[in-house]
Amino acid sequence: MLRYFAKSFALIAVAVVVTCGIYPAILWAIGQTVFPFQANGSIVRNADGAVIGSMLVAQPFTKDEYFQPRPSAASYDATASTSSGYAPSNYALRDRVARVIGPIATYASGDKKGQAVAPDVETWFQADKFGGNPHIVAQWADAHNSIAQAWVTGDPTHGAFVDDWSKAHDAVVQDWIKKNPATPQPKGSDLAVVFFENFSNDHPGAFPSSVTKTGADGKPATSIEPVNTGSDIQSIFFDMWRSDHPDVALNDVPADLVTASASGLDPDITLENAEFQLDRVAAKWADDKKLKVDDVRKEIEAILQDKAHAPWGGLIGEKLVNVLDVNLELHKRYGDPA
Amino acid sequence: MWLLPAMLILAAIACSIPLSAYFTWLMEGRYRAPRVLKWFEDLVDTGPQDWKQYTIALIVFNIALFIFGFVVLSLQPYAPLNPRGLGWLEPTTIFNTVISFLTNTNLQHYAGETALSNFSQIFFILPNMFLSASVGFCALAAIIRLFRGAEKCGNFFVDMWRVCMYIYVPVALLFGIIFMQQGMPMTYASTEVATTLEQGSMGLDDKGQAKPQTIVVGPVAAVIPIKMLGTNGGGFYGMNSAHPLENPTATTNFFTTLAMMLFPFALVLMYGRMLGRIRHSVVIYGVMLAMMIGLIAWVIRTDTMEPNPGLTAHAATAWQVPSASAPSGKLDVPSPAVAALPVNQHLGNLEGKELRFGTSAGAAFAAITTDVTCGAINAEMDSLNPLSGLSPMIGMWLNCVFGGKGVGMINLLLFLIVGVFLAGQMVGRTPEYLGRKVGAREMKLAMIALLVHPILILGPAGLFAATGWGTTAEANPGAHGFSEIVYQFSSSSANNGSAMDGLGVTYGLNANASPSPEAVPWDIATGLVMLFARYLPIIAPIAMAFSLGRKKVAPVTLGTMSDDTVTFGFLLFGTIAIVGALLFLPVAALGPIAEHLGPIPFGG
Repeated sequence: MLRYFAKSFALIAVAVVVTCGIYPAILWAIGQTVFPFQANGSIVRNADGAVIGSMLVAQPFTKDEYFQPRPSAASYDATASTSSGYAPSNYALRDRVARVIGPIATYASGDKKGQAVAPDVETWFQADKFGGNPHIVAQWADAHNSIAQAWVTGDPTHGAFVDDWSKAHDAVVQDWIKKNPATPQPKGSDLAVVFFENFSNDHPGAFPSSVTKTGADGKPATSIEPVNTGSDIQSIFFDMWRSDHPDVALNDVPADLVTASASGLDPDITLENAEFQLDRVAAKWADDKKLKVDDVRKEIEAILQDKAHAPWGGLIGEKLVNVLDVNLELHKRYGDPA
Repeated sequence: MWLLPAMLILAAIACSIPLSAYFTWLMEGRYRAPRVLKWFEDLVDTGPQDWKQYTIALIVFNIALFIFGFVVLSLQPYAPLNPRGLGWLEPTTIFNTVISFLTNTNLQHYAGETALSNFSQIFFILPNMFLSASVGFCALAAIIRLFRGAEKCGNFFVDMWRVCMYIYVPVALLFGIIFMQQGMPMTYASTEVATTLEQGSMGLDDKGQAKPQTIVVGPVAAVIPIKMLGTNGGGFYGMNSAHPLENPTATTNFFTTLAMMLFPFALVLMYGRMLGRIRHSVVIYGVMLAMMIGLIAWVIRTDTMEPNPGLTAHAATAWQVPSASAPSGKLDVPSPAVAALPVNQHLGNLEGKELRFGTSAGAAFAAITTDVTCGAINAEMDSLNPLSGLSPMIGMWLNCVFGGKGVGMINLLLFLIVGVFLAGQMVGRTPEYLGRKVGAREMKLAMIALLVHPILILGPAGLFAATGWGTTAEANPGAHGFSEIVYQFSSSSANNGSAMDGLGVTYGLNANASPSPEAVPWDIATGLVMLFARYLPIIAPIAMAFSLGRKKVAPVTLGTMSDDTVTFGFLLFGTIAIVGALLFLPVAALGPIAEHLGPIPFGG
């Protein structure tokens, strides 16, 4: 037995020398001499030598001048790759997708063909009727408790707003405690649904949103106020608007525009997705640089075609573009966005 | 769509033929190593062993490797190659991780890039991957020698040395070079800090400065070849082969997928070559291949060729559920109509998929990785379409669709013994395998080894599903949450290591301020499951092989069942299908099938 232990440790010792020492060292030597760019992470640098990013790792772009990568469950944090983990049956997936589509959805037919849906979503929201019943926000919170709770916990200012509300509405809170005796000291998130019901009653056709105003001291101040237009309305309530208008023909968006990748760091988007974003990108550059939209559009279209590549030449997959690659080219050609 | 999986299977078949010849040549001891290597062989050699000595050597070696792994992983805060100053993993996570890598499972209750330094990646992960992958290989070699009637079944340490040094190391080097050329990092540095092209797009820090994007790099190209070849599956990065630095292109994805298929494929043929019954092994190979093709086709059909049902339209339905409080005993639950979101899903379900590998690559990978018990992933298992999730689960439940290196073939032998026994009962003849009579003792040992697997999946899954350990950890509502729990234990027991990542099982570093609340019970439970599910199904079959091998070979007569015909293939397939379905159909119905039939979206 002891002999076996001795032999086991001898085998492990030799294995450590070979697999931890010699084997990686050989690969390292080959990598650093023959493939130095790849072996160090496919890093691109600017003219000053500062690291811009890795060609293989998605980085976020927020400005309209740039093409945007796929949504990232990891927030593009390359020290913590992750997927959304949402099952198809999880409402959180549908909700996330609907919120991306809401502000950019367009009609596919009829008088308003090509026009944005968002203004109609706002008008519908202000009328405050869903499925024939009043109070959209109350119905929303009732149907999607966890999404309503996520609103409360997702932002400290939201939490503070609900706390203030609960202090001002003691009777409502006491009533809630009577119905939920297991939670004698409810937190903000526990009260989310009753908060929205109450809010919807007090402010029909409105939703609590952050509004930034110039305060009395001349500095911008942010507060939560009832609003009935803007991005919150367009995104959060698009799915309900769609339920009320299931047969209206809308233009499809490319799936990879709204689905999160597995790593959260997918560097590519489909060429189809890039073409979908092209109008926005071209219009913004033309506006920034005082150029003709059509010319810019043609130029960027050419860049996309030039940079497009497909897995194994298209044998096994669709045409893709590397977002950083294309955006570097845009930056080279047009300089910094305004 | 179908080209990629077809090429993968053809390439794996083509490679498995010469590889199996090489393995046979090596394991028969016909390779005469150069003097330097021979010196090492002699260093570890303890002389020919009988089955008990061989098994004890195997166990002792694994204990030694456990001690080694525990010490090395605990050294992380004090060791070099740790510029980020990463501290200890949480103690139960160390326990889980050491067992996980010891047993070739590579279930990871931590994220590689967040929790492990390059020291741990090199000195803990690498030797564990090389050595644990060799253990199953050696066990199979011992079983074959015992089946041949040999009293001595070789020397465990010499077998280990040969498999590790003459097979894994050179092949891993070759794959490493391909991977580096395609963009996999190979550096001892730990991070690159990038300013990003649009400054401030990562957000602002407390001081209002633009945050950089920190990119973790490291000796990735050293870890990944053996991760795949050894069907280990433990990723350098948290998202494993979905991460663009761990799997940069369609080409690396092809070779990554091929690498995990090579050895399980070749070992089946090695079984036939070493026994001198090539036709018999080809029948087994055919049965495994048919099952694998079916499982790949299923997941491509239901995931790549179908949209994500979370975004499509659904008609209104009503559900009747039993209820004690309702007067009629039944409660009507209406599910309102759901409108389609305007998304063009012609590429199938893209949630949790990467684009660069090819359209069907995520689906094909999901099936293959669970068939060969690799456990690497290149797409999020949680986000597969409900019915598609069945394919990876079936792969793990059967655990012999090629299976892990050596152990998959061993598992198949158990089904085979049961099949032979059933067939013998039907015609009223004493069952025989390889001309030797299968007696009560062999059947008992085979059944022990066969039943360990379902018991270790269904027992703990039931316990966790019924308690807060499971329900708190679920990340998705309804039937899918149950699927997550079943998946985790299936993966642990099959020594697979893949996971539905939503499940909250990660504690990570000991200093982590907000770990998953139920991480500790998960660490301990899956750790124990991996341990039992690894060694019992190796030890019992060795004993069975010894017991069978001692018996006299009966002469072949007209009544002897031939084991190299298509009929025998169907018998084998039928046994696997019936036993597998009897054991696992109920959980399949409660998990993926219920999710598919139930309201989508579910809850809110």
